Amino acid sequence: MADLGRYLYAISRGLAESQVASMTGLRDAPLEVVRHRELGAVVSNVELTEFGEEGLRRNLEDLRWLEEVARKHDDVVHAVAALGPTAPLRLATICTDDDAVRRRLDESYAALVSVLDRVEGRLEWSVKLIVPATVRASSPAQSSDSTESGAAYLMRKKREDHERASRSAHVAALAGSVHGQLSEASVASRRLPAQDARLTGFEGDMVLNGAYLVEADDATQFEARVSALQSEHPDCQVSVSGPWPPYSFAMLEQ
Amino acid sequence: MASSLAAPNQGPTDDIALADLLDRLLGTGIVLDGDIIISLAGVDLVQVRLRALISSVRAGDAVGGERGPA
Amino acid sequence: MDRPSILTRLESEPESIERDLMKLVLTIIELIRQLMEKQALRRLDGGDLGDDQVEALGLGLKRLEQAMDELKERYALTATDLELDLGPLGSLLRDDWLGEAAQTGEITMADVDDLSGPG
Repeated sequence: MADLGRYLYAISRGLAESQVASMTGLRDAPLEVVRHRELGAVVSNVELTEFGEEGLRRNLEDLRWLEEVARKHDDVVHAVAALGPTAPLRLATICTDDDAVRRRLDESYAALVSVLDRVEGRLEWSVKLIVPATVRASSPAQSSDSTESGAAYLMRKKREDHERASRSAHVAALAGSVHGQLSEASVASRRLPAQDARLTGFEGDMVLNGAYLVEADDATQFEARVSALQSEHPDCQVSVSGPWPPYSFAMLEQ
Repeated sequence: MASSLAAPNQGPTDDIALADLLDRLLGTGIVLDGDIIISLAGVDLVQVRLRALISSVRAGDAVGGERGPA
Repeated sequence: MDRPSILTRLESEPESIERDLMKLVLTIIELIRQLMEKQALRRLDGGDLGDDQVEALGLGLKRLEQAMDELKERYALTATDLELDLGPLGSLLRDDWLGEAAQTGEITMADVDDLSGPG
């Protein structure tokens, strides 16, 4: 019989096992709830050949595996978050058995309660700001010609450097301003690393990758605020996604 | 509490874009310098081939993972 | 489900292997070239270079840039292809906003007292 582990998806408050009884997780294993005080870890069995340290090391290099598992993990988080306040866990949090799960819940009890208080009744929105790529590219028309002297070349480089720096400052201020305005319209906010265009397909430079925690009831207002920002900056692309479970405001350093 | 979450994975326009998902589930921004370095608590650094990621992202997500403001 | 092994790739895609290797090499060279240019501009600002030195430095850097442009063209590589994410060192080369945008920020609570959730 294969060695099994408990894969943890998220931690909820006040969740009854019956609420997840009809749901399945990875590899169609049934979802279960491991309780500790009022907290419940949503788990399912996984085989350690696939999800143990060796297995993970191998599988995390396989993008198809990674995407499949990430999507399933996200499906479970979505379903559970719809039932009550939920703190999502990172991918591949595995415990050997239920006692180990309960130990983790106990060790992180205070932090978990604090996180659940923070996210209850609130949802995450992702807002990204993408500026046209020309903002930081140096003009190709000014590439060196053979008659340019060494001194002139350096002076030109110096000028281009200066122009780049002032464009940078302008763009940074813009990103900061947009983030600031959206932060005011939300309960909590966070900047995430910009995503590379080669990965996302956005044309231009992502100068803001913001996550915003918004009261569920304020969703329409928040979306209106984002629309307004797009109108105020027609030359930029304001990309909004959501509402999502509060991933960026509940991640625990497990 | 009534669910007001966007329904997951019901088609390209409702998906969380893979890049966004991995950002959050792996707890790190995705670094592109030829390979992607992934670090999980308790698991050593592993490397993921960039080319495979781009093709899987483009095939499944594209920019259509986002929706514009309502 | 198997990805081709490196040996299979060498047999079937020799040109792309060569290009991949050149990309790696040129990325490093481009990094050094940009660092040299930055350093040259600092020396220029410092005002301690004679006119002859400035001219020689500028010509050398100009030739280096031209050589890189030729190599990039030969291997169909763009400037973006050769960008290297240096993590914490990234700010050496890239514009400041990229450095800031590359970090994961802390959670900023709008109202720290308001943790009571929905009424």
